[in-house]
Amino acid sequence: MSEETVIQTRALSKVYRDFWGRQKVRALKALDLEVHRGEIFGLLGPNGSGKTTTIKLILGLLFPSAGEAVVLGKAATDVGKNERIGYLPEESYLYRFLNAEETLDFYGRLFDMTPETRQERVDTLIKQVGLDKARKRQLQEYSKGMTRRIGLAQALVNNPDLILLDEPTSGLDPIGTREMKDMILRLREEGKTIVMCSHLLADVQDVCDRIAILHQGELKELGRVDQLLTVEDITQIRARGLSEECKNEVSQVIARHSGELLEMANPTTTLEELFLGIVRDSEARPGRRAKVTAPVSNPDNKK
Amino acid sequence: MVLEREILPYMQWLLQGADDSWGTLPHFLLVVLGCGLLALGVGYCISAARHGFLHGGDNVYRVVAQGFRELSEISPRRVWALARLAIKEAWQRRVVVALVVFGIILLFAAWFLKTDNQDPAKLYISFVLTAATYLILGISLLLGAFSLPHDFKTKTIYTIVTKPVRSGELILGRILGFSIVGTLLLLVMAVCSYVFVHRSLSHTHRVETGLKHVSNASQEVIGYDGNTSKNAYHRHEVQLDIDKHGAALSNFGHVHAIEPRGDAPQVYPAEGYMRARVPKWGKLRFLDRKGLLKERGISVGSEWSYRSFIDGNSQAAAIWTFNNVSAIATADDPATEIVEDALPFGLIVRVFRTHKGVIDQPISGTIQVRNPETGLRSDAISFFAVDAKVDERTIPRKLTTPDGTEHDLYKDFVSSNGQLEIWVQCLERGQYFGFAKADCYLSLPDGSPGVNFSKVCLSIWVQMVIVISIGVASSAFLSGAVAMLFTVVFILLGFFRDFFVGVARDTQHGGGPVESLVRLVRQDNVMIELDPGPGTSLIEGIDFVLQKFMLSVAQVLPDFSAFSTVDFAASGFDIPANRVWQDLTTCLAYVVGLAVIGYFLLRTREVAK
Repeated sequence: MSEETVIQTRALSKVYRDFWGRQKVRALKALDLEVHRGEIFGLLGPNGSGKTTTIKLILGLLFPSAGEAVVLGKAATDVGKNERIGYLPEESYLYRFLNAEETLDFYGRLFDMTPETRQERVDTLIKQVGLDKARKRQLQEYSKGMTRRIGLAQALVNNPDLILLDEPTSGLDPIGTREMKDMILRLREEGKTIVMCSHLLADVQDVCDRIAILHQGELKELGRVDQLLTVEDITQIRARGLSEECKNEVSQVIARHSGELLEMANPTTTLEELFLGIVRDSEARPGRRAKVTAPVSNPDNKK
Repeated sequence: MVLEREILPYMQWLLQGADDSWGTLPHFLLVVLGCGLLALGVGYCISAARHGFLHGGDNVYRVVAQGFRELSEISPRRVWALARLAIKEAWQRRVVVALVVFGIILLFAAWFLKTDNQDPAKLYISFVLTAATYLILGISLLLGAFSLPHDFKTKTIYTIVTKPVRSGELILGRILGFSIVGTLLLLVMAVCSYVFVHRSLSHTHRVETGLKHVSNASQEVIGYDGNTSKNAYHRHEVQLDIDKHGAALSNFGHVHAIEPRGDAPQVYPAEGYMRARVPKWGKLRFLDRKGLLKERGISVGSEWSYRSFIDGNSQAAAIWTFNNVSAIATADDPATEIVEDALPFGLIVRVFRTHKGVIDQPISGTIQVRNPETGLRSDAISFFAVDAKVDERTIPRKLTTPDGTEHDLYKDFVSSNGQLEIWVQCLERGQYFGFAKADCYLSLPDGSPGVNFSKVCLSIWVQMVIVISIGVASSAFLSGAVAMLFTVVFILLGFFRDFFVGVARDTQHGGGPVESLVRLVRQDNVMIELDPGPGTSLIEGIDFVLQKFMLSVAQVLPDFSAFSTVDFAASGFDIPANRVWQDLTTCLAYVVGLAVIGYFLLRTREVAK
């Protein structure tokens, strides 16, 4: 395993069995994966495809039925690897009777941090996830979005090299979703490796460098997002301010070169972009109906 | 107090044990070895069945090697963090309700506990400490058994085990945290109990008018005799000197000081209802009915082997030899003055009657002292034995011998190397006295009742920590309800450990478990052998296997009935330091053993589903 490889799985398989050892379901079938340092890697697939099982195997929460997973050069079952790992579960499984400060302080202690380091880290993270005003409130009083944010903070408490995010945007409103995605991109810029699993395609497309698509426990596709999404035999032309004559002329040029014009229409933005635009406008001009010019959706701009 | 087990010196208990048993440390190591080999065998079989012979062996090796490595990686800071979390969790689960329940028990206890008992302190102390014990054990059971399963259920365990937390730290943190919570609860209960006992038993009297004059031979008044008023269901005889200083004599286990105040003497609050007698035990031997020296007396039937009996109206005697008796008399101690006048000692007799006799009349016996060096023996001092009651007596300084000469106790009856013998005999034909080593003792100055009370609380604490450890360790593998059930079974078997061992060793009537079940269903007499035949052979075969299994389980069962020291405090005896250290050592052994078991149970299970 090279220095640049953070996670490597070799024929990783998981079979869930009942009490008597009879096979219930084959959740993962001989998965071979490599995640490289500094990338955002997405595990994509429908419900029950084996995404969460893969994350749990990598974390050592489950034991493989066959094969192995090596994380940061150590076996997945080795607790020592957790020193450099942060994990945000699908739901933020935190102690609801603690407040934000106590929660982060507790997890900081689990990393054997000194009181000074812990205090500094707790302050930084609480501000970073925007919970400064709610730092003394018990988590049972938190909204779903706030719980996700404190969940993310606990995952980052040790300033990890590898961060595993299970459905990071699940249950978040569009603003929360965008903030989470921005945070993920920021973490990559800081040099961290991120593995996330989601069944929300837009989220994965927005932030991931590489993805693996799983279905029924099998790896179906693996590669860079931009390469996988490129349709080789279709050419897209995007332009602004064309007249009808010009459009007709473009159609004729395509026909002359034996091409087939599939569509020529005004592009639409994504609902997410529209919603965020409205919210931004509303905040800028409170009490007035929002006036949003729909931006043209371009995935390249988001990264 | 009847002491049913000999308390060995700590080092002997730890390394050598009693005559017929092993020392605790070798026994512990043997159990560890047995459990370790069993765990390795079972672990390998399961792993080999799932992953094949070679890979299974590799898995077992890795788990064991990792276990040893992680032992050195345990971080006190992480353990303390988890302990703090356990404390907060317990607080959230409203453990303080236990104190409310205890308060209600104390509030209503006064309805049922009366001070008309001959020894009210015994009743009160046993009640409050027993109530505290069961409440603490109940709370410990709930805290220990449900904590980890709750984490599994809510999946909060995911965010813990994905941090560099070793399974051992998780177990130790829980045990430590819940032990701290239990300790705080126990402290509050102990203080409340102490105050409750004192407040309930504290009372005073007034000296009734009409004191009688006491005169000497020359008709000169030297003091007064009389009675106190009847309060708290009793009254005392009063003895006062000419200045009306004196005391209300011992009754209901206490005395009162009396001082003059104005014309009428004033009775001060009760003293001595809580005591901590410090016994000095000697070595016990027996003479049989023919006067031959024996190590043990006779057995009168199904009796605990620790105690044996002597026949009445024969040469049979129980002989205690005490060492360093001269040192007691010359010790630089406030009690020396009393010891110089007479040697105080205590005697507890178990009376076994083979015929009713006069049922209201106690069985009579004699006490003699003897110099083991010269053979000089005093005249017999007669006494009446009440079964299992502490009879506190004194041996007077001046004693006569059968030839009528008077001798000094310390000069003539104590040997040159400081030894003294006390002989006890039963006078009545067909009746028996039962004795064990601890049934006769020389009374040393009393210890502090408060400290003694704390020692009892320490023994409750030991039980609490063991229950928490069992609960936490079992919940590392079982669900909350099942872990609780398992712990309850462990506690119950622990309380009835002697019976359990008796069944396992086939010393109980009625045979092994299957034979007993068959007898129960068929309503067979337990004293009659089952009819021989293939059915009986099958039953005995199954019982043989089960009894071996039970005997193995008995090796790790904590003897909860032996942990309780409530009887010591209730009966007014100091709990020996040897006993306290033995309990603490046993507790440590259980915590270590159960933490290791809990570690491997947690380490080898999948946290997620």
